[in-house]
Amino acid sequence: MRVLGQILLWLTDHGYQLLLVGVVVVLLVRNPQSRRKVVRALLVLGGIIVGSVFLAAAYGKMKPPDGFPWSWASMRISLAWFAMQVDSYKLLAPSLVNAVAHFLPYFELFLGVWLITCIWQRFSAPIAALAICGFMIAITTAYFRGLKIDCGCGIGPPEEVGPAALLRDGLKFLLPAVLVTIGRYWLRRRSRADAALSAAPLISSTQATN
Amino acid sequence: MVLCLAAAVPARPQATSSSTPAAGSSKPAGTAAKKPTGTPARATAQLAAPVKSYGLSTAPIKMEVFTDYQCPSCRSLFEQALRPLIQSDYIAQGKVYLVHHDFPLPMHMYGYQAARWLNAAARVGQFSTVEAALYDNQNFWQVDGNIQKYIASSMPAADFKRIESQMAGCQYQAPGTKPASLTTAAQAPHCPLDAYIEQDRALGMKIPVQSTPTYVITYKGQKLPVGSGTMTWPILKQFFDSLLSQ
Repeated sequence: MRVLGQILLWLTDHGYQLLLVGVVVVLLVRNPQSRRKVVRALLVLGGIIVGSVFLAAAYGKMKPPDGFPWSWASMRISLAWFAMQVDSYKLLAPSLVNAVAHFLPYFELFLGVWLITCIWQRFSAPIAALAICGFMIAITTAYFRGLKIDCGCGIGPPEEVGPAALLRDGLKFLLPAVLVTIGRYWLRRRSRADAALSAAPLISSTQATN
Repeated sequence: MVLCLAAAVPARPQATSSSTPAAGSSKPAGTAAKKPTGTPARATAQLAAPVKSYGLSTAPIKMEVFTDYQCPSCRSLFEQALRPLIQSDYIAQGKVYLVHHDFPLPMHMYGYQAARWLNAAARVGQFSTVEAALYDNQNFWQVDGNIQKYIASSMPAADFKRIESQMAGCQYQAPGTKPASLTTAAQAPHCPLDAYIEQDRALGMKIPVQSTPTYVITYKGQKLPVGSGTMTWPILKQFFDSLLSQ
């Protein structure tokens, strides 16, 4: 479990760099067919990277505190601890704090697995981007209200809310999600354009026959 | 300078914590330690360490809170989580041991002075009363520094006089005057109470405390991650319950 956590952390830390390199490669490739292949490969990689972000976040929130064994009781402690972090944002009533604290890690787990499978990526990627945006908005409001609290994202060492956390979230988490969303949208448009083009000679020959 | 002060402080005897009233006893929380037998009375009075804790040190959960009395978030934590905790049966039943540590911040003009008053009160068993008075009236005394007014109004005159006598040599600024510099006001060389404050600050630096309030929760000797910010009592209670159900 610890090794898995470290792999996920590495992907969350360096994944955006891999994607940026991939974007440069896409821009350098001239051949449309080759470009599409590169984009498809990058979308798979991007899905894994963004999925890793959410899986790492879920893992960070649900794993037992150091020194506690893996068990449901220990996970309850971790989720109760996360509830305290959500509460520190002073955005929600206690009943909603609990609902968010106990729903969010499972949602992140589900979204992470969904992203990694690359199934219906045109839905999963924008959802991921929106979720990250929501989290960044929460951090921003906490910062401007003068709260000096842990961001509570569960990824890597605790980080205080502020510009550093926003920069990290923007670069390492939001950027890959946005790139995957754009890439999926671009590929879908290309595929539709190709389908329209391949249907066009058939239509014109039909018209000629008539 | 801070290290020197910390080294010069007589080590706070563990007996101080363990002499905190047992659950269900009639003594109020924060009562001063009993005199150890055979110790000269004058030396004991000089060396009496402030008791700034609630509950039994043998409780499975220990919560150490680093606060500044002029910090609004610390007041929020006290009002929304710590006061309900103190009033609940978690401390009385020996489930939770709550320890306060002073960590006055430089940007709070009267925070250090408030900590001095708190330590003075803790030496004579008035910790809980003064703590509540400081937080309840924070909006008022943080304007002009007239801390003693609100402490005096929260207890009988005789009790206040005992606290005031502990403040001898602390050279606190008169109300309404601004200290030349916080460092100068804080490091009054003849104030014996500063040693306890610096001891707490040194402990906080080791964690490290980067903002207030910061809390460290330990369960049966196992330290949990350091937390910061406020929370409400229902959420804190839920966390304690999850630990106790282990």
